Amino acid sequence: MDFIDVVIKYTPFFLPAAWMTLKITLLGIAFGMLIGLGTALTRISNNFLLANVSRLYIFLIRGTPLLLQLFFFFYVLRQSLGLEAFSAAYLALAIHNGAYIAEIFRGTIQSIDRGQMEAARSIGMTSSQAMRRIILPQAFKRSIPPLGNQFIIALKDSSLASAITISEVLLQAQRLAAANYKMLEMLTIAAVFYLFYTSIFTWLVSWTEKRLDVDSDKQRGLV
Amino acid sequence: MIKIRNLNKSFGKLKVLKNVDLYVRESEVVVIIGASGSGKSTLLRCINFLEHPQSGTVKINGQLIDKNNEQEINKMRTQVGMVFQHFNLFPHKTVLENVMEGPTQVKGIIKFEAKKLARYYLEKVDLIDKANVYPSMLSGGQKQRVAIARALAMEPSVMLFDEPTSALDPELVGEVLCVMKELAKEGMTMVIVTHEMGFAREVADRVIFMDNGMIIEEGIPDHLFDNPQNSRSQAFLSAII
Repeated sequence: MDFIDVVIKYTPFFLPAAWMTLKITLLGIAFGMLIGLGTALTRISNNFLLANVSRLYIFLIRGTPLLLQLFFFFYVLRQSLGLEAFSAAYLALAIHNGAYIAEIFRGTIQSIDRGQMEAARSIGMTSSQAMRRIILPQAFKRSIPPLGNQFIIALKDSSLASAITISEVLLQAQRLAAANYKMLEMLTIAAVFYLFYTSIFTWLVSWTEKRLDVDSDKQRGLV
Repeated sequence: MIKIRNLNKSFGKLKVLKNVDLYVRESEVVVIIGASGSGKSTLLRCINFLEHPQSGTVKINGQLIDKNNEQEINKMRTQVGMVFQHFNLFPHKTVLENVMEGPTQVKGIIKFEAKKLARYYLEKVDLIDKANVYPSMLSGGQKQRVAIARALAMEPSVMLFDEPTSALDPELVGEVLCVMKELAKEGMTMVIVTHEMGFAREVADRVIFMDNGMIIEEGIPDHLFDNPQNSRSQAFLSAII
């Protein structure tokens, strides 16, 4: 009973930290999506320079640890750009996730049948019109399962921001445990918060997937 | 209407078209036949620059098309409709939206007018009752008829058909050919790549036989089918008829 009591007693102390985890994760994902889409489009464009800049970005980000990137933003860029620790954290997360999301988008864009682009071009659409109106809507739908996966990874990765002084869930657990010596209970509370968030993400992803399903009854004209 | 001179196209080292010349007059129906790999689809795709030829000229409605000028190519494509073997309907749009897409997005026609236009052409291919369903609900034959309506909605002066019935179940071929015959009757200029010899004989004003990237023989259907002059067209025709 002692265990449960401790957990209940300390859970409220986690709320600000839980909010912080959610904030840096959502900002990281939102900007990561924008960066990812932009990078995917330039990566497959005919512009040699832009395509290679995108390739280099993906190479650098995927090839180095997130912790190193967080340190880089916190210890190097924060000074020169005058960022807060909070901004350094979500920007690092955004740039980190952007590289993975770019590869998700690139994969799904390239998985759309070539005939779709040809059909769009054959009625006189420009390549950007065809991309925007024909290819991307279809590619986006296919991106949802891997994006959901990436969002969950991003949520858990946000715990690394504890290393750059961000008071998110894991750092809060460590701090409280240092004071009350209840490491098991504090880690349990932290784990429950992460599980809660990942459950919501999972549910949101499957809801979106269902809504966009072309083969659903609605789109078959049965409803 | 279409004037192609000295067209050369290679994919890597493979020469697919070798010095091809092709003239298509207004309201003429030209059918291109030949074995697979003979270059007939590539020739068709070079007309609207879905493939860029290495050399040669393409003139449409008297205008020489500059292959490096994207704007000019896009403009030309609004006058040249194309129907594909695999339909290539937009799966995330309804039948009506598929047909409206070109008029609204490319020609800038307002939605209300585009809807009328789309309905007119869906009526023409006898699919007005499917206007609000998604392509995944349609049979192959219906899909191809929607694809024809989508091309027609741009009100092109030429229609290109790239093996429009090759991906269809045999019992669905007829409905698509029927729509195409109707178009031919109305005087549409058409270039058709097909293996439907009966259709070619009935509808074509001229049949072109291609082999190995070259036009080997051409003529009115009765001559070419009954009395081919070239040994390769003889061999091809005796193999399929």
